Amino acid sequence: MNPLLLIVEIAGEKVALRVDDIESVAELELLTPVPRSPAHVAGLSTLRSRVLTVIDCQCALGLGHSGQRQAGASAAIAVHDGHAYALLLDNVEDVAQALSDPTPAGARHGGNWEGMSHGIVETKEGPLLLLDVAALIEGIPETRAA
Amino acid sequence: MVKTFAFISLPIRGAWMDDLFADFLAETREMLEALGGELVAWEDDPGDRARLDAIFRFFHTVKGNCGFFDFPRLESLSHAVEDVLADVRADRRKPDFALVSAVLAIVDRIGDMVDTIEGGGELPDGGDDALIVALKPQAELPVQTLQSLQAADGTEPRDASQGRRSIRLPVELLDRVMSSVSDMVLARNDLARRLRESSAEAVLHEPFERLSSIIADVRDAMTQTRMQPLEGLFSMLPRLARDLSAELGKQVKIEVDGSEVELDREMIEIIRNPLTHIIRNAVDHGIEKPEDRRASGKRETGLLSISARQSGNQILIDIVDDGRGIDDGRLVEKAIANGVIDAAAAAGLSRGERVALIFEPGISTAEAVTAISGRGVGMDVVRANIERVGGALEVMSAPGQGTRLSLRVPLTLTIIPVLTVSSGGQRFAIPRSSVEEIVEIGSRAVEVTRHGGAMLAKIRNRRLPGLELSDLLDLESAVDSDERTLVVLRLTDGKLFTLAVDRLHNHEELVVKPAAPAIIATGLYAGTTLTDDGHPTLLLEVAGLAKAGGLKLDALEHSDRLADTDEAAAPVRETPVLLFIGLDGKRKAIPMAVVDRLEEVGIAALEIQDDLTLVVIGDRVLPLAGTAGGLLPDHALRLFLLTDGQREIGYGIREALGVRHVDAALVAANAASETEGVLLVDAEATTLISPYKLFARHASAPARDRRPACHLASDDPWLQNFVRPIVEAAGYRIAGAGEADMDLAILSMPDALHPAGARQVIRLRATPGEPPDEPGSIYRYDHAGLLSALRVSTGGSGQ
Repeated sequence: MNPLLLIVEIAGEKVALRVDDIESVAELELLTPVPRSPAHVAGLSTLRSRVLTVIDCQCALGLGHSGQRQAGASAAIAVHDGHAYALLLDNVEDVAQALSDPTPAGARHGGNWEGMSHGIVETKEGPLLLLDVAALIEGIPETRAA
Repeated sequence: MVKTFAFISLPIRGAWMDDLFADFLAETREMLEALGGELVAWEDDPGDRARLDAIFRFFHTVKGNCGFFDFPRLESLSHAVEDVLADVRADRRKPDFALVSAVLAIVDRIGDMVDTIEGGGELPDGGDDALIVALKPQAELPVQTLQSLQAADGTEPRDASQGRRSIRLPVELLDRVMSSVSDMVLARNDLARRLRESSAEAVLHEPFERLSSIIADVRDAMTQTRMQPLEGLFSMLPRLARDLSAELGKQVKIEVDGSEVELDREMIEIIRNPLTHIIRNAVDHGIEKPEDRRASGKRETGLLSISARQSGNQILIDIVDDGRGIDDGRLVEKAIANGVIDAAAAAGLSRGERVALIFEPGISTAEAVTAISGRGVGMDVVRANIERVGGALEVMSAPGQGTRLSLRVPLTLTIIPVLTVSSGGQRFAIPRSSVEEIVEIGSRAVEVTRHGGAMLAKIRNRRLPGLELSDLLDLESAVDSDERTLVVLRLTDGKLFTLAVDRLHNHEELVVKPAAPAIIATGLYAGTTLTDDGHPTLLLEVAGLAKAGGLKLDALEHSDRLADTDEAAAPVRETPVLLFIGLDGKRKAIPMAVVDRLEEVGIAALEIQDDLTLVVIGDRVLPLAGTAGGLLPDHALRLFLLTDGQREIGYGIREALGVRHVDAALVAANAASETEGVLLVDAEATTLISPYKLFARHASAPARDRRPACHLASDDPWLQNFVRPIVEAAGYRIAGAGEADMDLAILSMPDALHPAGARQVIRLRATPGEPPDEPGSIYRYDHAGLLSALRVSTGGSGQ
């Protein structure tokens, strides 16, 4: 049984996230910056009296700050290692069934797409890159060291 | 720490029986833990009847329960001990080392058996008889005295802990409930905010308040549920120290203080191994063998003191031994040999830093690996385990005098009182336990100077290094730097620094959750929390801020020096000081230059007049300083003879420790400041005596520039603020505390006593009319009258 995918737009690209990795999709009520944190940590937000660490996926991909680093942005809520995160999205498109297992991604992507993904999956909307939520949260190695 | 209870091979089955049985095992185990300490204490003081009774009761209870549950071997073991103890109780036998050892061996065996029974395994065969034989007196033949035992039986209460009812729960369940309670508090705060914003029906407010108070109660109760006194952990320490010292041929007396301090039960488990390890190290490497101790003039029995206390939301445990101390030279050699540091870096280390090398991996000072410590688990692992839970471990050591390890762990991690502040428009929380005080920059109490980017705040004679929160966090502060507020923060080791923030907000109790790893990695934040208005807020990590601000911990200790020398790069000029223990037991140092020699006089050479002490040396009578707050010895007093080239004074001491070299700038700064400076010598706080002030106080001033001295009660603000300027303008100087020779005393209280040594007295009264009970007094606002009285007192000598 192939997993359900959430099709979203990140850094202007249509990509997929595994629905199993995502708890919900929400609009951020507010965004409080975390001074001197790694660049891909956009700040803190809340959801039902829980503190969320907001991750700028575009930044984690090494493509500069997202234009969505503000209250009102759409985000995918994920729990990783006991901490709740909000992954900033440009847009939420659809939910679709994966039609294949992930296969290694080709070299056509710039940025850090490859390192942040599980590979390419087939969907009814064509092949999409399946992003790795855990890797996005960890950030690119450079940001992690900072 | 989840325990799975297995009740296989129970003699009798049934749910109620299982419960009873679990209670029996748990109770036995708890009593066993407490018993080790009791036994050792009893060995020290065999006359302690209450203790003996408690021990006897334990074995009696175990025996009774074992019979009930049908464990014949446990029963016979406890029966045998009970027998022997009954003899001791009846004075038929004296407790000795062999007896206590034999009883302890049986305690261990019972512990093993309980473990085996709980695990559902088979008891190993045999060995019990040997343990029972060991109980018998070495010299005499065993005489079974069953009858007398029966007699003792009847008088004993059946169960020592009958009054207590308890159930046992897996800690995991408690954690889950605790976490739900935290979420409940957050949800309540959220609801409170929405109620405020929505202008909801007033009818909702009362039930909401009720809900709030119930939640608060539940939260308190839950927090309490997780707390446990340290007693359970501490009671095993006397036993541990006793066994170790017996094994190593050492004599150690152990003192335990603070068993009543409570700590999160999980935290107790976390510190159990580190604490045991530290004590093993102290007995093995710290305390010397009796003959060595004797040779170095110490008591043969080493002292190991373990004390716990609560400080804010931290628990401090100090483990202090009076052993040989840490050989920092050897540590450095090893560190260099192991490649931990290079020789050049080693040369620049302070003694404190050299001793702290003990926490580096792969360093052990033991000459040989012994069975007790040095088994590969080093202090580095111990420290890492403590730090993992947000604690700290520090070491201080003086050669030949002992070692102090200070262990700090947080009380609990969930709900803590915080101070909320803001900088650059963003709000942050600071743990209130770290906040020493709060000062407005504009206020008089504080003087802020900035040079070379470094900020320094002088608060009531204390110079503290300062940091700006907005700088540390790269924020744009919207508030002028003179209008910020200083929060004086205390690091875990007691050192202070100031943090300038734009604004203060509230004191709040907040549920703190761990922050995401990427946020923790900045080192600036300890966690995240939601304030009552629903905003996510970062909890600042105080030590991390100090580190990020470049405040080296050593630099904090020398904060005075920063103030007095602008060129930090200038070579440090050193000056020799004599280190000694004062009569008050404190460590002190005095510049070598003023010390003439060490003298010893009989106590008869002292003459004490009021608060002035004189000492007769040869044919001279000199003022004696250093006696304040101390006890004079019974026969001979040792003292330093101090001289400024013209006059001499004596300074009483308990013990001279030797010459050390300290930064000359520190000594100079100390002479200029009003209070006694404290500096670190051999990694221990040491009061630096200022000879200048000492001579000013104790050596009588030459007659020619003598101004008449006037006594004003220093604790009377009215006298100090209103009268002092008038008196000084009239040519008097205000007599210092302890000065015996005074020309005049001005008193404002009708019942104030005539100070000793004052030749004349002016009494001031509060009412204008002269009351009969205060004849000769002057109304306190009669300026002319006061001036005239002052002139009369100086003898009208043209002042």
